[in-house]
Parts: sequence; C-alpha cells; structure tokens
Amino acid sequence: MRVFNRIVLILLFAGLFVLGVYTVVYSFNLFGYDLEDLPRALGVSGFYHGLETFVENVESGNLSVLTVITLVVIALLGLILLIAELKPPAPRRVRVQRGIYVSRGAVADEVVAAAERTPGVLGTSARVKARRRPGAQVNLEARVRRGEDTSAIQSNLRRLVREHLAQRGVPVSKLNVKLVEADPRRTKTRVQ
Amino acid sequence: MLARAAVQAALATEGVHSMGRGRFVEAATYEGGEKVSGAVVSPEELEIHIVVRYPLPEPIPEIARSIMERVAPQAGDRKTVVVVDDLEVTEA
Repeated sequence: MRVFNRIVLILLFAGLFVLGVYTVVYSFNLFGYDLEDLPRALGVSGFYHGLETFVENVESGNLSVLTVITLVVIALLGLILLIAELKPPAPRRVRVQRGIYVSRGAVADEVVAAAERTPGVLGTSARVKARRRPGAQVNLEARVRRGEDTSAIQSNLRRLVREHLAQRGVPVSKLNVKLVEADPRRTKTRVQ
Repeated sequence: MLARAAVQAALATEGVHSMGRGRFVEAATYEGGEKVSGAVVSPEELEIHIVVRYPLPEPIPEIARSIMERVAPQAGDRKTVVVVDDLEVTEA
C-alpha cells in the first residue's frame, strides 16, 4: 500500500505542479489564448466535450445503466482504498505477551528448525506474519518425497512445530502447512 | 544512563546471548556521548532488543519478564518492551 500511495501522490503532485505552472503562464496571456480555448490548447477537446455531455446528463438525470454501474464500481473502489488506508499497518514483530515481542525472522528460524526434524521432510521454508493480537501466523511449505503418506507427515509437522514453539513460549495463532512433492536430488536433505 | 543500565541488566539475565541491533531500524540510543546498542529510550518507553541463547534455559516470556524486573527500578514510569531479535545457537 505504501508503494501505491507514493505512486498516486507523485502523479497527483506532478499534475498539480504542471497545472499550476500552466495556469500562471496562461493567466499572463503570453500566447494570446482565452480560457475557453484551454481544452483545445491542451489537446483534450474530445475529453472536454465528453465531460460536458456527462455533466449535462447527470443534471438531467439521464444516465445510462452502464454509466451508473461504472460510477458505483468507482465508488466501491474508493471505499475499499479508503478502508485499506485507514486500517493500521500490520505489526512487524510477533507479540508474545504484553510488552514482549519476537522478530518474525527469529520465529521463522524456529519453525524451520522444528519442521526439518520431522521424519519424511526433505526441506522447508517458512513465512511468518505478525498480528495485532498475540501469536504468529505461520505459512510453512515442506518438501517431501513423491509417494509419501502426506497426511501423516502433515499432522506430524503441525504437532512438532506447535510443540517446539510452545516450549519457547511463542504462541501460534494460525499454522498453514503446505506439502510439495520434490525430487530428493534437488532438496536440502535427501533422506530423513 | 538508562540505556546503559538496561543493557547491563539484560546481559546479566540468564538466557541472553547479546544485545540485538533491531531488524528494520537500528535499536540504539546516544547516551553520554556514545552509542548504546540494544536499548531505545524515549520519554514514554524503554525498548530492549536482545538475542537469546539457544538452547533456552527457560521460555522466552520468562527471560523477558526477568529483564523487565531487573530494569524496572531504572525505567520508572516508562513502559518496558522486550524484543527478541534473534536466537543464537551455542554449544551446550
């Protein structure tokens, strides 16, 4: 969202700058233009006429169904962006208890350490998301040999990761485990 | 001298390997003409960044609570926050 905000603000400020400079230059009548000629001078006559027609249609209550749908979609998009903007940013650290936090990287390292001790797992990668309430959301991807009993490995993984983190006092609010079949020659561990 | 006292208290706590440096922003305070890494002091809050020793002598919340108890006399009315930046594996 921050990158999106920056792009929008850069475009907005660039537009305001260009418009401001253009208006000041225009106001001195240096090039003999009238304000009515501004759309033509900018090369946006077609757009201007379309806008005029649109405003006339709005005033007379004569909008097509497609226009109404488009306006509703724009309004909804604006509402979604407004809500996204008003939402407080996601915390960077995992809250353990009041005043106690663990970095996401440290939690991910612990998850990987526990997962790689699970029988049948050849390699893992973990992503940890912090939440406003205590506990981490863990997305774990484990690579296993083709033909393994995936349900047994998955339940084992869940149990071991939860136990491991519980021993360290790090609560897990959500644990997503995804098993991916992989060629043992291309994984960190060949046999487990 | 609060940052220095907090760092000394944290390092004296069992299970603390070293002071953390912060993951995104450097965790340090300029105090007495030098930089004290691992503690961020503000008028409302004292933030202590640590690297804990693995295997852990006790769960992370217990280690954090010990640090909080140790720095409480110096912290005064400030809210104390302990952040575990990393875990360091050491030979048993």
